[in-house]
Amino acid sequence: MGRGEEDGGERDPGRVTGEKGAQVMEMLGKHFNCPKYTLLEARDKLRLWREENERRSLEVVDMWDSYLQSNIHKLGDERLLVWEQVCIAALDCNRMDVVDICLVSLATEFPSSMRVRKLQAMKMEALEKYDEALELLDQIIKRDETNAAPRKRRVAILKAKGRIAEAIKELNEYLKKFMSDQEAWQELCELYLLEQDYAKAAFCMEELILHNPHNHLVHQRYADIKYTQGGLENMEVARAHYCLALKLNQNNMRALYGLLLAATNVSSMTKSLSAPKKKECNKLIAWASKQIRNRYEEVSGRSPECELEALNGMLGALQIAGPQSSSP
Amino acid sequence: MAELLLDPDIRVWVFLPIVVITFLVGIVRHYVSILLATQKRAELQQLQDSQVMIRARLLRENGHYLPRSSFIMRRHFFNNEETGYFKTQKRAAVSQNPMTDPSMMTEMLKGNITTVLPMIIIGGWINWTFSGFVTTKVPFPLTLRFKPMLQRGIELVSLDAAWVSSASWYFLNVFGLRSIYTLVLGENNAADQSQHLQDQMSGAAMAMPPDPKVAFKAEWEALEICEHRWALENIEGVLVGNPSPAIEQAS
Amino acid sequence: MCAGRVKTARGTGDIVAFSESAVRNNAAVVEYCRTSMSALSGSTAGILGLTGFLGFGFYLFAVFGLWCLLLLKAGVRWEKYFTNRRTLLTNGFLGGLFTYILFWTFLYGMVHVY
Repeated sequence: MGRGEEDGGERDPGRVTGEKGAQVMEMLGKHFNCPKYTLLEARDKLRLWREENERRSLEVVDMWDSYLQSNIHKLGDERLLVWEQVCIAALDCNRMDVVDICLVSLATEFPSSMRVRKLQAMKMEALEKYDEALELLDQIIKRDETNAAPRKRRVAILKAKGRIAEAIKELNEYLKKFMSDQEAWQELCELYLLEQDYAKAAFCMEELILHNPHNHLVHQRYADIKYTQGGLENMEVARAHYCLALKLNQNNMRALYGLLLAATNVSSMTKSLSAPKKKECNKLIAWASKQIRNRYEEVSGRSPECELEALNGMLGALQIAGPQSSSP
Repeated sequence: MAELLLDPDIRVWVFLPIVVITFLVGIVRHYVSILLATQKRAELQQLQDSQVMIRARLLRENGHYLPRSSFIMRRHFFNNEETGYFKTQKRAAVSQNPMTDPSMMTEMLKGNITTVLPMIIIGGWINWTFSGFVTTKVPFPLTLRFKPMLQRGIELVSLDAAWVSSASWYFLNVFGLRSIYTLVLGENNAADQSQHLQDQMSGAAMAMPPDPKVAFKAEWEALEICEHRWALENIEGVLVGNPSPAIEQAS
Repeated sequence: MCAGRVKTARGTGDIVAFSESAVRNNAAVVEYCRTSMSALSGSTAGILGLTGFLGFGFYLFAVFGLWCLLLLKAGVRWEKYFTNRRTLLTNGFLGGLFTYILFWTFLYGMVHVY
C-alpha cells in the first residue's frame, strides 16, 4: 500500500512550512543528488508518479528547477498536468515562487476551473491564510456538490489548525456521503488515534480491511490497534490478525513481534484457559520466537553467537514485559 | 467456371477507396463522439447511493475477515428494521420512461447521430456511387446461399458465389476493421459501430436508469441472508502448520 | 495499491490474490498481439495466394503459433501472468478471424485477381 495513500491533500499537515521548512529543504538538498534525466525520461517519470500517486515532492521540484521550467512548452498538452503536479510538489516544499509560476500559467489556461481554484485554496492554506482558503473551498463545494477534494481539504485545514475534534466531526460528515472512500477512512482512523479513541479507530480500520482484505499492512495495523486496546477478546482478535498479516507476507517483522506479544499476553492473561487452548497458544509463542530467530540468522549470515545471545535475552525480556504493559 | 478478368481501374477507383473511406469514417466517428460527449454530472444523492451500495457489497464479500461483532454491527447499520440505512432511506422511484427526461433524449440523439446516421449515410452513398461493380473475389469457395449476402447490387445468376460486389465489400470492411480500430485508437473506442448494432438487437434490455429503491431492496435481501463465518477462526493453527482446529478437538 | 483485487480459491483452499488492473492490462496486450497477428497472417496468406481450406488452415496455424510464442515468452511461470492457458488460445478467435479474412481477401484481390 504505502505509495497509494499519499494522494488526498488532507494528509500533509506534517508538510514543512515557513522558515524552518526552507532550512530543512537546504539540508536535504545537500544530500540529495538529483540524477540528470533527459526531458523524455523526466516526462515518463512524472507520468509514472502521477499514475501511482507518488508524491516525491523534492524530486519533482528539483526536476522543475533543473530543466523542466525552460522546456515546459515541449511537453504539449501534458504540460498542464505537469504544472499541477509541480504546483502541489512546490507547496509541499514551500517554494512559493514555483507555485506562483504554475498557478498563473494554469489560471490563464483555465480561468474558471474548479481544479485550479482548489490549488489556489491550497496555496492560501500553505500561507496559513486559513479563512480565505475555507472561503474558496466553500465556493467550490457550492458550485459542484459532488466534488470530494475540497471537502477533504476542509478537514485538512482543521487538522492543520490542531482542531482535531472538529476535523473528526467534519470527516464524519464527509464519510456519510462518500462511504467508500478508503483514504478518508484511513485519515479518520489516524485522527481517532491522535485522540486515543481506539475503539473508533479500530472501526475505521475494519472498514479498510473490507476494502483491501489481502493487504497485510492493513491487518497488521488493525491488530496493533486491537492490541493497544487490551482485554482478552481484543487480544485474541489482534493475534488472529497478526497471523493473517504473516500469512499474507511472511517477511512482516512487525507482525511477527506483534504475534509473539499478543500470544504471550493471551496465555498469561487468563487463568481459566482450557488446556488445549493453552497448549495451542504456547505452540504459537514458540513458533513466533523461532521465526524471529531464523530471520535474524538469515540477515546476519554467519549468526555470530553474541548477537543471538542478545536476541534471546531481548525475547525473554519481551515475554516478561508483555503482560505487564497491558495489565490495567 | 471461367475466370473473370477485372479492369485494374476498378481496383484504383472502387476497391481501394471503399477500404480507405470505411477506415477514415471510423476514425472521424471516434473523434466526433468524443467532441459530442458531455460529462455526466452526477447528483450528490446518486453518488451517495452508489457508495453505500459499494460498501454493502464489500461487507458481504469481505465481511468474513472481521470479528463477528463488527460484522453484525455493520449489518445492523444497513438492515435494522427501524433504523437501518436501507430501511429508512426513501428514494423516489425513478421514472421508467426515458422520453420524459429531456437530458436523456439528447443523450440518445447524440448516440444516434454518431453511430446510426453515418452508417446509413455512408452505406447508402457507397451503394449509390459504387453500385454494380464486382470488386474482388474471396479466396475460398462459398455456397450459393452467400450470393445475396456478398453480391448485393448484382443480379447475375451464373456468377460464382465467391465474387464480391462493392456494397458487400463495404460491409466486409465494417466488420473486419473492428479490431483494427482497437489497435489504432485504443480500447473502448466509439468507432466500433457493430457493437452498437448488437446493443440495438437487445433493444428491450436497453440500460435503464439504475433505480436506487430496487437496488437497495436487493442489497438488503442479499445482506440479510449473508451468513458470517469468521475466516480467521483457525488461522493460528494454519500458520504453525497444524490445520486441524484445536478448538474443535477440545470440545 | 491495486485498484481492485480478486481472489480465487484453488483446490487446496489457499487464497491466491491478484491485481485486477494487471490482469486487464495483460489481456489488452494479448489482444493487441492477436489483432496484429491476424492482420499480418491475413496479409501473408493473401500475398501467397492461399485459397480455400489452405487459408483457414494457415489461420489456425498462426493462432496456434501465437499461443506457443506467448507461452514461450511467459516461460514456466505462466501462472504469474495468466490465469488460464486455454482461454489464452481461444479468446478472440472469431474477432481475429474477421480481421484475417478481410486482410486475406484484400491482398488476394490486389495481387491475384486483378
